[in-house]
This record gives sequence, C-alpha cells and structure tokens, in this order.
Amino acid sequence: MKKIFTLDALYTILAFFGSLIILGLTWQLVSILTKHEIPGPVPTWTVFKELIADPFYDYGPNDKGIGLQLMSSIKRVFLGFGIGSLIAIPMGLLMGSSKVTMRLFNPIVQILRPVSPLAWFPLGLLAFQAAEGATVFIIAITSLWPTLINTSFGVASIPDDHKNVGKAFGFSKWKYVTKIMFPFALPHIITGLRLSIGVAWLVIVAGEMLSGGVGIGFFVWDSWNGLSLEKILIAILIIGTVGLLLDKVFNAVQHVFAWENK
Amino acid sequence: MALTDQLSETLVESRINGKAKATSAQNISTVNSIEVKDVTVSFKTKKGIYTAIKDINLNVKKGEIISLIGHSGCGKSTLMNTISGMVNPTQGTVTANDKIVKGPGPDRGIVFQNYSLLPWLSVYKNIYEAVDSVLVAKSPAEKKEITTNALAMVNLLPHKDKLPGQLSGGMKQRVAIARAFAISPKILLLDEPFGALDALTKGSMHIELLKLWNLDNRNKTIVMVTHDIEEAIFLSDRVVVMNNGPAATIKEIVDVPLERPRNKKDIVHAPKYMEIHDRLLSLLFDKFSINDIH
Repeated sequence: MKKIFTLDALYTILAFFGSLIILGLTWQLVSILTKHEIPGPVPTWTVFKELIADPFYDYGPNDKGIGLQLMSSIKRVFLGFGIGSLIAIPMGLLMGSSKVTMRLFNPIVQILRPVSPLAWFPLGLLAFQAAEGATVFIIAITSLWPTLINTSFGVASIPDDHKNVGKAFGFSKWKYVTKIMFPFALPHIITGLRLSIGVAWLVIVAGEMLSGGVGIGFFVWDSWNGLSLEKILIAILIIGTVGLLLDKVFNAVQHVFAWENK
Repeated sequence: MALTDQLSETLVESRINGKAKATSAQNISTVNSIEVKDVTVSFKTKKGIYTAIKDINLNVKKGEIISLIGHSGCGKSTLMNTISGMVNPTQGTVTANDKIVKGPGPDRGIVFQNYSLLPWLSVYKNIYEAVDSVLVAKSPAEKKEITTNALAMVNLLPHKDKLPGQLSGGMKQRVAIARAFAISPKILLLDEPFGALDALTKGSMHIELLKLWNLDNRNKTIVMVTHDIEEAIFLSDRVVVMNNGPAATIKEIVDVPLERPRNKKDIVHAPKYMEIHDRLLSLLFDKFSINDIH
C-alpha cells in the first residue's frame, strides 16, 4: 500500500502555506509603508469575494466578469501559442536536421528572438487590420522561439548510435523522421513548449492592454482607469496562479514523454 | 625468442592439419562472401590526415566465422565499418555478396557494440521497424510473424512489450542480435558485441549466437570485432590479428581448426586450443611478465 499522506507531502504543504504567509506579510508591510495607497491583503480579499461571487456576468462589451475575462485571455494565448508551435516545431526539425540549415536559419532566429512583443504590435495591426488578430500574432511570434530553438537543438544532438540504426536498416526518410528524429527530439520539444507557453502568458497582458476588448490584460487597464488598485492586485495574483498552473501542466506532459527515465 | 619460434612451428603444423580437416568436416564453401582488396582508410583530422588502416587484403568465405582482434585503436572497427558500408575506403574496394560496397545495405546485418536499440520503442517495435524497412515486399502479417519468430529465437517473447531501458545488458544484446537475424542478411557484422557483458552472460551469448548460426545451416558469414582471445577462438574459423595503428595492417591470420559443434567446457583442454591461445597471446603481447619490461 502506498501512503497518500507521507511526511514529505506534509512538509511540502506546510512550506507552501509558509510561503503564502511570507507573501501576505510582505504585502501588508508594503501597504503600511505606502500609507495604504496600495491596498493590503484584507481590503483586496473583500473585493475578491465580490468579484468571485459572479465571475461570468456579461453587461456588454466593457463590463464582464473576471471569469469571462480570464477565459478569453486563455483562449487567445492558446491560439497564439498553437499557431506559434505549428510553425516552430517543423522549422526546428528542419533547422536541426543539417549544419547547412542551422547556419542559414540561426542568424535570423537570433535577430528576431529578442524583439519585444510591443514592437511587433503595429505590424500585426497592419497585417490583420484588427486588434484581435494583432494580439494573437504577437503571442505567436514572441512565443515560438523557445520551441524552435529547443527543437532544433534536440534534432542536432541525435547520437550517432541512433542515426546508425537508420543507416544500417535502410530506413526511409519518413521512417527516420517519425521513428528516430521526432521521438528523440520530443522531450526537447516539450521543454521548448513549456518555455513558450510561459512567454505567451507573459505577453498576453501587454497585448490586451494595447488591443482592448476583453481579457485579463484589458481588465488590468480598465481597473487602473477606474482607480481600483484592489482589482489590479487580484489580476496580478490570478495571472501568476494561472501561469503556475500552465507550467505544472506542461511539466506533467514532460514527465509522460520522458523516455529517458523509463 | 626460442619459445616464439617453437610456437610458430607447431602452429604451422596445426594449420596444415586444420585446413585439411576444415574442408572435409566443416564444408565451408569456396565462394567468397567478402573480399577486401587493398583497402586504406584515412580520416581528415585537425592535426592532418590520419591513416587508420593501410593496404588490407582479406577474403572471407561464405558461412565462415572470422574474428578481428587487436589492441584498442588498431583499426579493427574501421575495417569492419568498410564492410558494413558505414565508412568508405580511401583506396581499394570492398566486395560483399558480389557487389561493391558503397554504403550500408540490408544484405549485411549489423550488431553494434552498444546495442543501438531505439529507447522509445518497445523490444517488439525495435525489431519490427527494421523488418518493415528491409523486407518491403512482405505483407504486414508476414512481417509480424518474422518479428515474433526472431524474438522467440532469443527467448525474449515474454519481454516483447518492454522498453530497452527495462532490460539487462545481455537481454538488450539479444534484441540487437534478433534484429540483425530478423532481416535475414547473408553477412552478419558484430562490433565488439559482448564487450559490455559480464563473463557469465558472455558465455551463454556465445552459445546462443552459434545456435542461431547452426539453425540457419551455417550459411551466414559472420565477421566479429573483439579483444577477447577466448571468445575469438571459441567462435571463429579464423582469427585476424591486427597490428597497432596508425596505418594498421593485418599481422597474421590464425586458423582455428577446432571441430564443430564446439563445447565450451571441453574445448579449453584441447591441445590445439592451447596452441592457438598461446600463439594469439604472443602475437598480441610481446611482454609476458614484469621481468620482460626493461
């Protein structure tokens, strides 16, 4: 029988509450130091209870519940991230497959990778003639690089042992890609995806602040205009928690596909 | 000095005897399965051109088992790789099954030193993908049957759904051997196949390999790279001793005229076995005790 509650699990839970307490105390301290210009945990909790009471209300385009805002942000992030990955994975496989393609594409990647999402926004607007398209565009183009680089690195580091199997048994190109190249690169690809979803989630707030409409980024901006600092703090905590959950999900996926440890 | 002279004399004698016996008893065909002709392999390195092997000539008959033996880095693997087609000779030609070797091909099955199984595929899939790739003309049902038979041959059918990482070294190597046999190549190339195994596992693998070779009516030509003298004698018809590199050449080819089927326990007591063993030792080492080191 496997024990569900081990001593180790208990320590983990205690440590988690410990870190929540540290966060709360620091927050309270900052609140006192700023003479309650920045609201402390208690008034924020009151506002949070109001917000969470009806998270999915919809009173027209500029007044929606926090749940709806969050849902539309997550949808947008996954759309942008999905499009980015669909470009990044094949490109990464191609880039890593030979020294020539690596040399050809690597400078382009290195130049475009550090560009801020905000700098891409006008281009997106021009190309899609709509704020919605532009937001998805900047998420896609800024989040694809970690996946692209990790995939190409994975493919480039296939050991000769595995390549020799393909050579010795005359694998076709297709068989080589599906049975050797892709499975070997898969753990690297998933690591890339994990980093990419983090970037995508990072970009969403900036994107939605610029584009407006509906979403957690817009919610932050709207709360600022309404001078509700409590709501901004709540949004920050929600953004952080969702980011953490996304990371956990990809971490779990990573473990499923890690053939190395089996 | 006197000892070596005596050794080589008795060896010449036994070799003549052996040849007569080999043709009568073992019925090795006279057709050459592999012909290595004036082969030189050089690599470009940062320090300049490095010649691994030089002017190698070697013919291997159909159904023969030969071992390439020598110290580390003597080019025995390089020589074998020219037969497998993984390495192209800088000069000279290698002919296998009457065709000049230009690259790896399914007529030559390879068992790699480090097993080279794909760790994300099950044992069954590892063999099936090779079969699927090589035996294109067969139907899926036939391919499955071939894979299953290959696994049964090495007694790994109960483990067919395991990943290579869950197997012991010996089991992994049996999968690799089953994979090489499954595509029924005319030539089997083994690159230090049992080098990473413990002595006990190694012993049973030798017998298993010979069993598979017997089941196939001793039709397969086997070339094996090894640095284990006992292994070379037990398995081979001839042992090719190589000089130390760079620019390694064949030092001598020693016949092993021991009758088959060989018995691991009895063979070591045969006077012929001891002669061959001594001969190989003196070819590989010129110093036998610390008194010899000046």
